[in-house]
Amino acid sequence: MSCRMAKLAQCGAATVFIIMSSAAQSHEIVGNRSFPATLAVDDPGVSDELAFPAFSSFRTGDDPSVRQHDISGEFSKRITEDFAVSFGTAWSRIHAPGGPMMTGASGFQNLETAFKYRLFKNPEQEFVMSVGLGIEWGGSGAQDVGAERHNTYTPTIYFGKGFGDLAASLNFARPFAVTGQIGYAIPGSRLAINTDPDTGDVDIETNPGVLVWGGSLQYSMPYLKSSVVDLGLPEFFNRLIPIVELALQTPVTSTVNSGTVTTGTINPGFLWVADSYQIGVEAIIPVNHQSGTGVGAIAQLHFFLDDIFPNSIGRPIFGNGINMGRPAFGR
Amino acid sequence: MRNLIQAAAALALFIGAATAAMAHAHLDHASPAVGSTVSPAPSEVVLWFSEMLEPAFSSVEVRDGNGAAVQAGKPRVDPRQRTQMRVPLKHLAPGTYKVLWRVLSVDTHRSQGNFSFTVGR
Repeated sequence: MSCRMAKLAQCGAATVFIIMSSAAQSHEIVGNRSFPATLAVDDPGVSDELAFPAFSSFRTGDDPSVRQHDISGEFSKRITEDFAVSFGTAWSRIHAPGGPMMTGASGFQNLETAFKYRLFKNPEQEFVMSVGLGIEWGGSGAQDVGAERHNTYTPTIYFGKGFGDLAASLNFARPFAVTGQIGYAIPGSRLAINTDPDTGDVDIETNPGVLVWGGSLQYSMPYLKSSVVDLGLPEFFNRLIPIVELALQTPVTSTVNSGTVTTGTINPGFLWVADSYQIGVEAIIPVNHQSGTGVGAIAQLHFFLDDIFPNSIGRPIFGNGINMGRPAFGR
Repeated sequence: MRNLIQAAAALALFIGAATAAMAHAHLDHASPAVGSTVSPAPSEVVLWFSEMLEPAFSSVEVRDGNGAAVQAGKPRVDPRQRTQMRVPLKHLAPGTYKVLWRVLSVDTHRSQGNFSFTVGR
């Protein structure tokens, strides 16, 4: 495999990894609404949670396209009620003819750290907004699977809106909710210098600034049952949340080498939410051939640590987050 | 292989802990049922939650279409079945009523919610 081809494979792997791992998973309760942890994009919540393991399988957008399997995990810890830090990474297996030697490759992707602060939430309107900063630590992963050597900093805005405040005539639409995120990935280094191991040729490329954006549309059966109408369905269905996620990225600056084509995936699937964990399964559908070929899949097990360990690692380090005042209802 | 078995065992333990864990108190079901139409008018609203409640920090209100409270007494968490909370009602005329609840589970998780029911003619 030429150096150029190896780099393409690495870029493709990194692209999908960014999409998959940028979801600093959490769940957020805002009034009647519980925003579940999503798989492809981040939800707007700040929580103590563990997303592990997540398995994904897909074909990259490289030429030729190669099969990639990822096992990823992430741990999120609240420092205060509204501020959390998370750590995540993934182990990737790229099948032949991927990898620098066209024989496949495996290894860890870069370690990611994310800081997130909840700006505000409005329980009546089921609205929440947060801001965050994600840092991908360049050089902490294996280059053979596409891990970059430079840091990447991604400031991001997140929001979530439930439609529980719709008029009573639209009752069956009230379980709908949307979440969204928009961030800008800033490379720590403007240039990437690569040396072809075969010829010794030096290749200099620019690292683009990338708009990272997406969201989800979800329909909460738990919300339908507890806030709209109890249809008497079996408990299994009362815990389902059908969901479609959209995870995209668009290079917007220093695009000489990357081009400006938007890549990403559409992920239809469902979440099944228990009291202290959830299971998510989604298809991974590339939006164009630069994003991948064929349909992949991802499955994830996710634990709500604040529910499992409410008196230890499941609570904020500073402040207990509990308002012990008497309950009162606003008009 | 040994590491894999150890990892699987740790994960199984964790799942076991998660299954046994207490959590946010979610409304399991209610009487009158969420979104239902009932006749005659109920004399009380009963809520069943997924977790045990702290009585001192859990409450429920019922309001008519004008926003006026229609409870006939204080809400009470059943001391023998602490997942259950009930509140007596005044005589309700036909119309739609909103139930607003806010609870603290015994493991100190807060949660809240609301739903409506209708009293038919």
